[in-house]
Formats: sequence, C-alpha cells, structure tokens
Amino acid sequence: MQTTNKKPFLKKILLIILCLMVVAGVAIYFIFTEKFEDTGKEEAAYTIAANDLIKEFQENDSLANIKYVEKIILVNGKIAETETADTSVNIKMIDTLTGSYIIFAFQEQHIKAAKQLKEGDMVSIKGSCSGGTYSKILETEFISFKRCAVNK
Amino acid sequence: MKKTIILFAMVGLANLAIAQKKQTTTSATINFDATTSIDALPKAENKTVIASLDTKTGNVAFESVIKSFAFTNPRIQEHFNGDKWMDSDKFPTATFTGKIGDINAVNFKKDGTYNVAVMGDLTLHGVTKPVTTKAVITVVGKLISTKTDFTIALADYGVNGGAIAAGKVATNPKISVMADFK
Repeated sequence: MQTTNKKPFLKKILLIILCLMVVAGVAIYFIFTEKFEDTGKEEAAYTIAANDLIKEFQENDSLANIKYVEKIILVNGKIAETETADTSVNIKMIDTLTGSYIIFAFQEQHIKAAKQLKEGDMVSIKGSCSGGTYSKILETEFISFKRCAVNK
Repeated sequence: MKKTIILFAMVGLANLAIAQKKQTTTSATINFDATTSIDALPKAENKTVIASLDTKTGNVAFESVIKSFAFTNPRIQEHFNGDKWMDSDKFPTATFTGKIGDINAVNFKKDGTYNVAVMGDLTLHGVTKPVTTKAVITVVGKLISTKTDFTIALADYGVNGGAIAAGKVATNPKISVMADFK
C-alpha cells in the first residue's frame, strides 16, 4: 500500500526536476545566444549636436558620463575625418577650436554604409556612448561611441 | 643682422620639426580574447584606441577606454565592466607607455617588415606592471603599421572575479594591438 503511494510522489518530484532543468536550459541558451540589438532599430535616449555634446563633456565630464554612458545617443554633425580601424572605418567630429573630438566605431552590419561617408558630409550617427575622458597623449577631451549606425 | 636672426630662427624651427617625429592615431585597435573551452563569449574589441609612435626615439604609448570594448553579448559586456572584473567606473582607462628596443634598426623611409621588441609599463585596473613583447612594424610608403600579440595574467592586475575561478574567463587572456600611422 505504501509502495503505491510513494510512486506518484516520486513521479511528481521527477517531473518538477525535469521542468526546472528545461527552464534552466532555456534560460542559459538565451543568455549565451543573446546579442546586442541592431542600433539602427533602437530608439535614442538623447539627440544632440556634436559641438553641444563636446561642450558638455568639456565643462564637466563626470556629470556628462553619468548622463550619457551606455545610452543610445543620436549625434548630428559634420564629418571632420574618417580613419581606417582594422577592416572597419571610424568617423570623427572635431571641435576645431579645442581639438576635442567625438569618434564613432560601427556595428558590423553598418560598416558598409559608414565606408560611403566622406569628410565634410553632414550626418546623423546613432550609437552607444562609451563616455568621455581627457587624453594625456593628445592633451584633449575625447568622447567615444561603439556599435554605431548611420541614421537614415 | 635682423635677416640673419630670422634665418637662424627658421633653421632652428625646421630642425625641431624634424626631431619631433611623434605620430598619432585615434583608431588603433585592441582585441581582447579571454575565451575558454566552456565559454566562447568573453571576447571583445576596441577600435577607438589612441596611440602614439615616435619614430626618432622609439617611444610608444596607448590609451584605451575600458567601456569602449564592444562585446556581442550584453550580459558579458556588463560583467566585464562590473566591479568583480574591470571595474570600469573606478578604472576607466588602460594605458601603456614604453619604448621600441632598437628603433634605429627600423628604416621608416624604406618599405619593409621589421621585427622589434617593445618594453614598457601597462596600467590596467589601477595596477601598473612591466610588459615586454615582440612587435612587427610594416612600412609601406608613408603608412606605418604596427602589430603585437601578448598575454597578461589577470591576477597580476588584481582581477580575480568568480567567473575566472570557475573557468569561464581565461586566466591569461590574449591581447592583440594594431595601430596604423599615416
């Protein structure tokens, strides 16, 4: 009699363990295969002109870092320089008075569009702000962006 | 007399310009590979590294913003910047200042590939340690390409997160640095 009572109980325990294992497996699968969204499809937290962004960092980069770091920002400005970076290309917007600059590194799927851009072009670039700091090598403030997309 | 002084001043300035051969780039690349057999995700690149090379003295320097390392996986990027790993809020940059051993063996006016040794100090996670590595300099016209690969022991820099102990992050990640100077 006791044996027949134990069996359904064991079955329930095994079923619960199995369910937990499936849930854990699915969670691990999603964690390991999760990728950053296409920045081109993400909504910007802020839209700002390049010179205004540089000015904010020059005035107080600690406050500006708190405000912008790891957020998607849409920056409007004129391309001052294009630089090859490995097989990719970086775009720079420069404050000509101080030499401070913003630099944009592109997400894989947006590199082709970035390579079409030329110095002097007015563009809107959306990307994840990595923050700004003072370069001891260049003796100027710089702000870097990663996972960027040319905004259309 | 005035003309002579101006002439000497101009010659002096020209010599100063020749002596200062420091070249810079804001688009050097650092690849960071801490993958292990059980985790292929701790891998990132930073394409906005500042670098300088003085072709006269052999002095080299790099500045890298830690938050500029782009991972494909959001969770790993968050862990990388977190206080148990790089703690990038507290230590926002990594720097290297050093020197190319025999800079005179490199002819920057002649196309070619030169193997050199680089010695210097790497500061990471607020800890500075000496680093010696081999590097390759390739000269093609006015383009100077530099590349080096080395490994670092994270424990030497006070990085001892749980993921490292669990074998998910390599204890000695591979670092590749590439910089083009034009």
